[in-house]
Amino acid sequence: MSNPADRSQVEIAREQELVARAQSGDRAAFAALLREHQDEVYTLARRLVGDPHMASDVAQEAMIRAWRALPKFRGDARLSTWLYRITVNTAWTHKKRAGRHQTTSIDDHLEVAAPVGADHPEMAGELLELRGRLRLALDDLPDAQREVVVLKDIYGWSHGEIAESMGISVTAAKVRLHRARARLARDLEESA
Amino acid sequence: MSVICEVAAPFVANSAVDGRDVVSPLRAHTGSCLRCQARHAAMSRAARQLAALEGQRIAAPADLEWRVMTSLEGDLAISKTWARPVTWLAAALSMAAAIVIWRLKPRRA
Repeated sequence: MSNPADRSQVEIAREQELVARAQSGDRAAFAALLREHQDEVYTLARRLVGDPHMASDVAQEAMIRAWRALPKFRGDARLSTWLYRITVNTAWTHKKRAGRHQTTSIDDHLEVAAPVGADHPEMAGELLELRGRLRLALDDLPDAQREVVVLKDIYGWSHGEIAESMGISVTAAKVRLHRARARLARDLEESA
Repeated sequence: MSVICEVAAPFVANSAVDGRDVVSPLRAHTGSCLRCQARHAAMSRAARQLAALEGQRIAAPADLEWRVMTSLEGDLAISKTWARPVTWLAAALSMAAAIVIWRLKPRRA
């Protein structure tokens, strides 16, 4: 989950300063943090719940929760990591509240992003086709399995982090991932 | 379709995503089975596509910031003006209810 984006020391220091100001109640500082992180929070919410409207609500509530919990943020983890955890918990709450299985689309931009190898039409075509099949296969996964795949295989969370945020044991997280990947592989094979 | 291929499938998928060897009891089979190797290759490609998504962002709705900040204003307004009186009122009502229940409770002779 480290999300090791290259960030300069200046950016890190600026963020720390904004966090400190927001922790003491400065809403303008929090708004600046919000602007900085809203896309990544919303993106994770979309990947977890699929539906854009629900994702928007999840992102909104996650940021409100973040504001309320900010005084407890000690800076042990990166702010984005901490926000991701809040977003995952909020997504869970929303889905429980919705109380129904939602047919969701994992990532519309699986198809939007320019495929690697665009200079080679054959390769690009294959990639687009794979992305389409991958999207369908992910959509077909049960919610709980898809969430584990999103957190582990997209965001690189550890089993422990996934277990903690989903309120399950590490073993359960591993089993869920094991099953999810097996199903994903089978579905990809069948759709080929 | 071999039964061993089906048993090996989840391990092949995990191996492809995590970049580790398939567990030893199945390694000999997967090493020589074209079907398992094809599955491994397909899952590796899928895993690369998934991993590539991490850096991609979907733009948040334009009004998200406004919605959050408006909610926070409401939050603060409530906490400043109403939190203390509401707390005192709730405490007083709880005490009154407790007294009423205690007074109404039948006592043994």
